[in-house]
This record gives sequence, C-alpha cells and structure tokens, in this order.
Amino acid sequence: MEKKIAIVTDSNSGITQAEAKQLGITVLPMPFMINEETFYEDITLSQPEFYEKLEGGANVVTSQPSPESVLNLWENLLKEYDEIVHIPMSSGLSGSCQSAIMLSEDFDGRVQVANNQRISVTQRQSALDAKMLARQGMNAREIKEFLEKDKFNSSIYIMLDTLYYLKKGGRITPAAAAIGTMLKLKPVLQIQGEKLDAFAKARTANQGKSIMINAIRNDMETRFGGARADNIWLQVAYTKNIDTAQQFVAELEKEFPGFNIVCNPLSLSVACHIGPGALAVACCKKIK
Amino acid sequence: MTNTIDAKSLAKMFLAGAQNLESKKEWINDLNVFPVPDGDTGTNMTLTIMSAAKEVAAMEDPDMMSLCKAISSGSLRGARGNSGVILSQLFRGFTKAIREKDELDIPVIADAFEKAVETAYKAVMKPKEGTILTVAKGAYTRARELADEGCTDLNFFFDEVIKYADEVLLKTPEMLPVLKQAGVVDSGGQGLMQVLKGAYDAFLGKEIDFSAMDAPESAPSSVNASPKEEVDIKFGYCTEFIIMLNRNFNIKNEMDFKEYLESIGDSIVVVADDDVVKVHVHTNDPGLAIQKALKYGALSNLKIDNMRLEHQEKLFKAEEAKAQAAREEPVPHKDVGFIAVSVGDGINEILKGLGVDYIIEGGQTMNPSTEDMLNAIEKVNADTIFILPNNKNIILAANQAQMMVEDKNIVVIPTKTVPQGITAIINYVPDMSVEENAENMKNEIGNVKTGQVTYAVRDTVIDDKEIKQGDYMGIGDEGILSVGGEVPDVTFQMVSEMMNDDLELISIYYGQDIKEEAAQELKERIAEGFPDCDIEIQYGGQPIYYYIVSAE
Repeated sequence: MEKKIAIVTDSNSGITQAEAKQLGITVLPMPFMINEETFYEDITLSQPEFYEKLEGGANVVTSQPSPESVLNLWENLLKEYDEIVHIPMSSGLSGSCQSAIMLSEDFDGRVQVANNQRISVTQRQSALDAKMLARQGMNAREIKEFLEKDKFNSSIYIMLDTLYYLKKGGRITPAAAAIGTMLKLKPVLQIQGEKLDAFAKARTANQGKSIMINAIRNDMETRFGGARADNIWLQVAYTKNIDTAQQFVAELEKEFPGFNIVCNPLSLSVACHIGPGALAVACCKKIK
Repeated sequence: MTNTIDAKSLAKMFLAGAQNLESKKEWINDLNVFPVPDGDTGTNMTLTIMSAAKEVAAMEDPDMMSLCKAISSGSLRGARGNSGVILSQLFRGFTKAIREKDELDIPVIADAFEKAVETAYKAVMKPKEGTILTVAKGAYTRARELADEGCTDLNFFFDEVIKYADEVLLKTPEMLPVLKQAGVVDSGGQGLMQVLKGAYDAFLGKEIDFSAMDAPESAPSSVNASPKEEVDIKFGYCTEFIIMLNRNFNIKNEMDFKEYLESIGDSIVVVADDDVVKVHVHTNDPGLAIQKALKYGALSNLKIDNMRLEHQEKLFKAEEAKAQAAREEPVPHKDVGFIAVSVGDGINEILKGLGVDYIIEGGQTMNPSTEDMLNAIEKVNADTIFILPNNKNIILAANQAQMMVEDKNIVVIPTKTVPQGITAIINYVPDMSVEENAENMKNEIGNVKTGQVTYAVRDTVIDDKEIKQGDYMGIGDEGILSVGGEVPDVTFQMVSEMMNDDLELISIYYGQDIKEEAAQELKERIAEGFPDCDIEIQYGGQPIYYYIVSAE
C-alpha cells in the first residue's frame, strides 16, 4: 500500500503559512530574538514589522527552532501520515539541519531529514519537488536520497545594497572580509551548496544585475544543460523592496523569454544578515 | 675625411645625443599638446636615454658589442612614457643591426635605421603618423636613398638625414590635427631630432659638456645612499662589483641572488645584462657577497668602501621607508596579484582596499619606467599579475615590462585613468579564469567615464577651446570638456558634459589641494544638478588634479 508522506520545511523557504496550506506542505516557523523578545516568522512577525525593527537598529538574532517545537510538529503529523520528509535550511548556514537529523534518529526512519543545502527559493523548490515525488510513489527515504543527490543542481546569486548587515551579522564574515573597502560597493554573493561567498563586486545596481544575469546564464548553460524553460526553474527573491524585484523580473523575462519566474521575498533569517534592498536570482534544474 | 664610425666614436655620439636631449628637455616639455602639468615628453625621453648613457659613460674603451648592449638594455629598462618606450625600441632595433660590426659605414647605418624603425613600429599597437615614429621613418627614408646613391661622405650623409627628418617633423602638424590646433610640432619627434643633432655635433668634433652625466659614483641613480649619521648605518661597507658570467643567469638566479644579498645587507641593486651582472650592496660582510657571486663567474671592478668613515648623502625619509619595506618578510605566494600605478594617499588606500598588492607611486607627475614595473613585479609573489597602468602614457612601459618577464604571467589591463583602474579591479572575479577576467576587465573599463580637473601650464588652443596659462581645465576621456577661472565651475561643467541618461553613479575623488568642505559643497551642487544619480565623494589626495570624477 502506498504510504502517506508529509513534507515539512521551514520558513526560510519563503513559503508563507497561507501558501503552505494550499500546497499541502507544513512550514515550521523560524524563531527570531528581537531585543531579547522571541518572534516567529509569519506567525507573530510580519515582513514590514521585521524591516521596521531591523532598520531601527534593533538587535535581531536568529535561532534554531526549539527541539520541542520540531518534535511536537513531527509527532502531530505522524498521527495522520506514515512518514515525513523534513527539508531544513542549508546546513552550511545553520545548525538546524544537524539538530533535526539528530532528533530524527528516534523515529525509526519514519522521519527523513534531507541535508540538501538549499535556502530560500531553491529550498522552496525542493519542497515542491518532494511533494511531487511523494505523489509519484516514492517513500520518504527515497525522496531524501533523491533531494540530496540533486542538491548541486541549483545556484543563487544575491546582490546586496550594503555591506553593513553582513559585517554586523558576523556569520558570513569570510565573504565580508574579502570585500572590505572604503568605496560603496554592491557585493554579489553566491550560494553554492554549503558555500556562501563573495562572487563579484559592482558599483551600481545595474552593473550588479548584469553580473548576476551573466552568472546564472553561465550556470544554466555549462552546468544544468541549457537555458530552456522546460529544463530550468528561474526564481527571483528580494528583501523589502518588491518594486525593484518586479522590475528585475521584467528584465529577466526579456533575457530568458518563456520562463515563468517565481518572485518571493527572501526569508527573514536570511534578510537579517544581508539587510534590506537585496536582490537575488536563483535557478534549479527541473527534476525529470 | 672619416667614412666610418668605430665603437668609441659611436659611444661619444650617443652620449652627446643624450646630453643634447637633456639640455632641451624643458623646451620639449612645452610642446606637449595638452597644457597639463604632467606627462612630460622631454623629461620621459631624457630619463630613458640617461639610463643608457650612464652605463655607456661608465665603460672604458668599449667594443661595439658591449656598447650596443649597454645602449639597448639601459634604455629598455629606463624607458618611461610612450615616447621613451618608442625611443628605447628605436635604440634596440638600431643596436641589433650593428652589434656584430666593428665599424659602421653608410649602408650599415641605413640598415640600422631600417631595423630601428621596424622595431619601434612593432612595439606600438596602433602606430600613429605625425609622431616620433614618422620622424624616425623620415630619417630612415633619406638614409636609405643616400646609401643607394652610393654616398660615402658621412658628414654629408648626417647633414642630409637631419635636414630631411627636420622637414618631416615640421609636417607633423599636418598629420595630427591636435598638433596643428595647438600650434606645435610633435614633441617626441623633436626629442628624437635633438638626439640626432647632438650625435652629429659630436661627430663633427664639437666640444660637448658632459657634466650632467658623470659616470655614476656607485651604482645606478635609483640606489639609495646610506644614512648620514654613523649610528644609523646598519650595514657598513658599500660593496660593488661586476660579475662576468660563466654560466647562465636567469631571472630565477637573479631573484635567488638578490634574496641572498637581502639577507646580508640592504640597498641592493642587481642589474643583469647578457653576460655581465652589476652588483651593489651595503653589507657588514662583503666577503659573503663576493663568495656568492663567484659561483656565477669571475669578478671585476671591485670596490669596497667603509661608509661609516665617509661623508654620506642624506637619506630621504620616504626612501628609508621604502628600504624598510624591502627588508620586510617575504610575502606569501598567491595565484593572482595586482599592481597599480597611482599617486595620492587616498586613492592608494582605496586601491589597496580593493586588493591591489603593490602600488607604483607615479602616474600624474612622474611616469614610472619599465624598470620600476619590473621591480614591482618582482615584489609581488604571484603566478599571474595584472598591471593597471592607470595612465595612457604608462601603458607602453607596462607592455614592455610584460615582454621582459618570463617567470610570471603578466597581464596589462590598459587602464588610462584611476577610475578605470578601480573599475577593472572591482570587476575581478576570483572564480573566473585569468583569460575570462582579462577579457571582462577590458570590457568593463569602457563603461566608466573619467573627468579630471587641473590647471593649464601655457596658452594654447585645443578642441576649439582657447586656454590661457593658469586657467582650470576639465579633461575627459576624449579631450577638453571645460575651461574656466574657478575650479568648482569647471568641475561642474565638466560633469555636465560627461553625463547621459544611462549613468547611475558619480564618484568624486578630491585632491590634496582641495579642502573637504569645498568638496562637499561641490558634491551637493552636482547632486542638485543630477538628482537621478548617486553621488559618492572620496578623499583621493592626488597632487595636480583637483578633482578626478568618474561616471558609470
């Protein structure tokens, strides 16, 4: 008999609670500490509230979901489902994945944690892929293995408006250290598997966008088998500024005709490290 | 009647040519088309030829081969500025054609002129007529005619060649409109004529005043003297000698040898030519230097002075700092390094912040020589080194250095201004290959516009703008953009001329003579004038140029 499989990811995927309901995916909200007070993304903290606090100079700290919240979620789901595929944010950016793997060991294989190093729109795509694979009849372990094998078939470039938050956050210092200068620069970062690092630098937004477009096209053509809409998911993500993001989507539609471009806000746990005004483009190879 | 020239006469003629150029250099400087207080052709050519003249002057009774080597390698290493590089290539070609001869007659000289012109044209990517190249070609053309006619009278030959080349020089304004408008002949061509005329004077036996180029007391002029006060002298013996090589001495040997000398002393100069190496070092144990040198060959011209007992020239503070830096620990090896030519503490800091490993001070007031480039290349411990000349008059010297280096991959990105250099290094992507990066940087430097504000050093007309001495000028990538009596007005007008709808960011680097408040005021004025642009202001600290502005 076919197994009933629940797909779980966290709010770093950018999937809102409302969207999650529609998609039939469960989204674990990431907790934030803002001036010592705990908030949950998309539950007790909205995007506008978050940016207001961040730009107001509040001390924003991300943390992992508590083991208790993860265990409660799984136990509840397992009352209704046979197995769970859990897709946390990249193990390169957070310890959540490691904790989840540890917690899953007590579930006799019923909970499979996919360590596939995705974040934001590419993490979102993994959740959607997992949902599809479950529908096709794969069990949780097969889905996890599939996702992990597929992990490098994605690429993200992010242009920051400022280095301020990157430096302040501390977590991504190797990247920040490489681009310390007196000039105002718009660094372009690259997320590739575990690696979040400086990719290039630009002085203006247009230069940065053109660097990202060239880089993502190069990835599509040299790594993912061609820049075709039937082969590639193309996504845009942003922090705070939806107008610039939509303008970027329009520019990408010209560059990549025929692509259906998903545009989502970057999750807040990424946003608090890179600040408002960031713009990202991502692509994932479509699974066959 | 003399029909041939031997090595001794040629040496005398060369020195006289150099001397004549030296005495006319200010006059040649004034021929620069842009009346800017920099990029002086006369100075650059003089420094180039003097680098060779010093080696020639130090030779006693030279033979043709060693004389040719001294002229060729001395001028190649000393080459500065475009005209200097071309002059050095003329000498290189000329000496290549005669080095095997004992005496030169007219057919040999005509051949040598031909080789000189051919070599110089090859050294320039896009040779332009109406320049030193055209004048050199003119000299060759007449020399060939006379040789073909069977002329044997050297006196008549030189007189005719010079007359004809002078005629060609006078026609340069017809070939280059900028010269015509400024009402001058080509300065590089005039420099070449002065060399030829000086040489001819020596041939005629005229008395030449060689005082300006007394054979160097110690090593080449770039060597630092040791500190004045005895207590400051760390290394007591000024040690000099020449190694007559009996085995191969490649760049690797040279670096090893220098490294060894650095471990026992300072003020090191090692100049290698085909089969001799000149060595200069201050050390407390001259014996060690000599023993090491004996491994490479026999020694000659040994000279060891106890500097603690002698009066020494005062060491400039900056040079001391330089020597200090040279003594610092070896830098760790990396795959890719950057060298930039720059001046101004602010701009230097910005470039270093962007990842430049070594800055060659110079650019605006002093064009660095090929040798300065070679020294910098040696200091950067990387397999591939990108050079950003940041001045159109330095690109050729960088290219020349690139051709002389064998153990490192040197890539010259032809940046003509500091903002282009900044753009180039910003666009460097560590993940890409050297070739991709070079291609990308070359493309990107075309996307930034530069404007620079300075003062005019003489009256002239250029780009249909009348300029009076002391006026301020805004100079863009393609010519003069604005002229006037007030720096802020000239700068604002220059920026207005640079702007178009695609530009998003204006960066202003203010120079050492501009106060921060004045720069802020200008920034606000530009921000008001161009509300769609981001404006960024930085302290550049550069001399001579009040403002360097870029728009992209």
